Amino acid sequence: MGRRQSFLDLSYALVIGGIAVLAVLIIVSPVVIALMTSFTEGRSLKFPPTGFSFGWYEQLFDPSRSRPIHRAAGNSLEVAAMSTLIGVVLATLAALGLARNRARSARVADNLFMSPLVLPGIAFGLAALVYFSTLGFRPSLNLMIAGHLIVTMPFILRTTTASLSQLDPALLDSSQSLGASWFYTLRRVTLPLIFPGIAAGAFLAFMASIDNVPVSLFLSNARTDTLPIRMWGMMESTLDVRVAAVSGVLIGCAFTLMLIMEWTVGLTRRMRD
Amino acid sequence: MTVNRRTLLAGVTALGGTSLLPGIAHAKGSVVATTYPGTWEDAYRTVIAPMLKKKDDIDLELAPLFAMDQIGKAKAARGAPPFDVFVLDPGPRIVGIEAGLFDKFDGKKLSNFSKLPAGFTDEYGVQVSAQVVGIAYNPKKVPAPKGWGDLLKDPWVSRLGITGFQTTFGTSALIELSKLFGGSLTNVDPALVELKKVLPKIAAVGLPAAMPGLFQQGQCDVMYTNTQTVATLKGKGIDVEFVKPESGAVAFYTTMHIAKGTGELANSYKYLDVVVSKDAQGALTKPPYNFIPVNKDVELPPELPMKSLDEMTKYVQLDWSKINPLRASWIEKFNKEMAK
Amino acid sequence: MSVASDLIDRPREEGRLRLAEWQLALPLSLAFAALFLAPLLLLGATSFFNDEKITQPGFASWTKFFGDPFNYKVILDTLLLGLKTVCATVVIGYPVALVYIDLPARLQKVLIFIIVMPMLLSVVVRTFAWIVVLGREGVVNQLLLWLGVISEPLRLLQTELGLVISLTQIEMPLMLLPLISVMSRLDPNLRDASAALGASRWRTLFTVIVPLSMPGLVAGCLLVFASSTTAFISQTVIGGVRLIYLPLVIWQQSLVVYNWPLAAVASLSLVVSVLSVIAALSYLGRRSSRHLHG
Repeated sequence: MGRRQSFLDLSYALVIGGIAVLAVLIIVSPVVIALMTSFTEGRSLKFPPTGFSFGWYEQLFDPSRSRPIHRAAGNSLEVAAMSTLIGVVLATLAALGLARNRARSARVADNLFMSPLVLPGIAFGLAALVYFSTLGFRPSLNLMIAGHLIVTMPFILRTTTASLSQLDPALLDSSQSLGASWFYTLRRVTLPLIFPGIAAGAFLAFMASIDNVPVSLFLSNARTDTLPIRMWGMMESTLDVRVAAVSGVLIGCAFTLMLIMEWTVGLTRRMRD
Repeated sequence: MTVNRRTLLAGVTALGGTSLLPGIAHAKGSVVATTYPGTWEDAYRTVIAPMLKKKDDIDLELAPLFAMDQIGKAKAARGAPPFDVFVLDPGPRIVGIEAGLFDKFDGKKLSNFSKLPAGFTDEYGVQVSAQVVGIAYNPKKVPAPKGWGDLLKDPWVSRLGITGFQTTFGTSALIELSKLFGGSLTNVDPALVELKKVLPKIAAVGLPAAMPGLFQQGQCDVMYTNTQTVATLKGKGIDVEFVKPESGAVAFYTTMHIAKGTGELANSYKYLDVVVSKDAQGALTKPPYNFIPVNKDVELPPELPMKSLDEMTKYVQLDWSKINPLRASWIEKFNKEMAK
Repeated sequence: MSVASDLIDRPREEGRLRLAEWQLALPLSLAFAALFLAPLLLLGATSFFNDEKITQPGFASWTKFFGDPFNYKVILDTLLLGLKTVCATVVIGYPVALVYIDLPARLQKVLIFIIVMPMLLSVVVRTFAWIVVLGREGVVNQLLLWLGVISEPLRLLQTELGLVISLTQIEMPLMLLPLISVMSRLDPNLRDASAALGASRWRTLFTVIVPLSMPGLVAGCLLVFASSTTAFISQTVIGGVRLIYLPLVIWQQSLVVYNWPLAAVASLSLVVSVLSVIAALSYLGRRSSRHLHG
């Protein structure tokens, strides 16, 4: 039996370990490959890339040749920043109001606010387009901010609610029993304690907005397209290597942002919990 | 690694910075014009936009959309057009006229009016170029096909990339193919039947905008397309040649129209005036764009498929007023027949 | 202010505060009503019009959409694509979570970093990366040609296989994060106890770990399913137009043909079919965990 056991355990280690290594390879390699391709000298996306050059990055940063890409990136940043900002205010207030409310209506509201996470984004995108054009609005960045707010806000609500529920109620009670006003308690006790939760949520919401396709697809036009939509266009038609260069820049940004978030609010711990 | 990251960061800062610039440097005005994705977009961004900026200090905003999509978008906007100037092929042009999408056009408002051949402007818009549809192939991978029928035979069929009826070039090619198998201007079923027979062999079926990319990536080595796309691919150093099919290539004029309800009427005329000017037409005629010019002062260079616009009559011209009513159902039929 | 008045004041103040606390959710509720519920209701209303100009109310769009057998196939294909992606992410992803709980804390951090990293990359970038990998002159074909396994490049782009492979990577973080979150809260003693009782690691896996990790697994499946069925860009760029899924139909009907009523019907079909699979999955998840505890 002992031999059988050790054989089984060995097969477990081999199979599980083997698949896990394969999985990590599958997760990482496309990113590495896209990064490598962006330094090619060639004009097309062949692998292995021919030669090494920063040529595609130079073209990407050349203001006259890549102006639409720059503008799309600017639009993306503006929409993400604004929708995250508004989302932080609304979601933090709502979390404060609902996190410790045990009423059934509060649970229903909470579930409703989370529903954009599973509702097919493309359906909401179309709904927003039909709605805004029925109301007579023309496509603008403001509409996009409104649309993004709905689909990114749940991330902030979720992390903020989680940190609120970990908060020791005795702390708040003692603050208030010491005569502190509700607002003072909020400002000096609650907010500092839940700040990492809000920050992590804001980060996730910001990234989700930068990455959003379904809503932007329906609400953008030539002046207001965002980076993913513009990249999709570039990928669809003239497959130029600037797509790889944009990817390279985004990989760099994401990597840097992750490191910063890890050092400041312990992002990996928060994503896991 | 640190150096690498630092360069990337510098890049990001640059990216953020430059995106703010257009907002600061405000021009006198702007005009939003549609353009076809790919070659047209490239050409207009590189050639026309700087000219318009220099001459009239107007910012040209380009919206890359196929003709059918422009009509759809304008119809859906119901009187508040999402762009000021359309660029259309004959089929969608008729749809636009019927739907009353265009502002009444007065050719005499263009300073270059006298440089255009007679009849090139009407109350709806102005002809800005001619397009020729034929077959593109990669000479390093396959021999030159002779006609539309070759597309369905080996060795071409297994390297063939096809697209549906959303675009003028797709519709024209499929109609011409259909004619070889007993179809007609209004009956494309034979083409679909023949395509369906060889479907498992066909290398790629894509959205029209995706075709140049698929060709460039080597996903397909033969496709039907127009001369400008071939010119652009060539300009990128890709092995590609254009073939006029034996039964004749399809040719048509591309027109521009001012949208009814536009807030930029004056700028729209200025834009169109630049488009048909000698400088612009001359620059667009050169590689890698190879547009067929309409300005009488511009000579047709040897790379173009025709020596003068008089040759247009030698090409196959299709009656789009007969095709239009059927097109929506053809698009749907193509999607269904080609689906897996 | 005297202590007495303070004592009298407090209950009243608390009552007022509780009301105020509840009201804090009002701004978000209003935003949600105006920007989420109202658009969805209008979308529902739009589907009950017969014509593209949205003037004649009626059921024609519904009967047209569901009168066409082709659309049933599209719905089925969309759901199957989601399920295939879910299966692939479970098979490939679960072992990663198992390895994760056996790793020392430092390496755990690195692994999480590796998992989250692609999630922070735009879906468009990840899709693009797969074009480079799966293309005719891409990495996989170059490698197989070089190894002599094949003599002609394989067609991987524009196939469902290629699409499922790409979606597996693209959606992987959505599976792994909830799974790891639940797994890392499992009591390590449970596994040791199981081993001490003579159970093999396989047996421990299937009788102890899998049932206990069910909530995380179900949550991961839901997210992956919801995300992959609506992944429009990956579906069209990697799948091409021969593979037709609901998001492509919605896009074509709304932004190419501009038939909003029909697009609305297609969207609602997507919402209903995706949400019912999600409801079924979470019901199964709840039942299996109740089974375990009850």
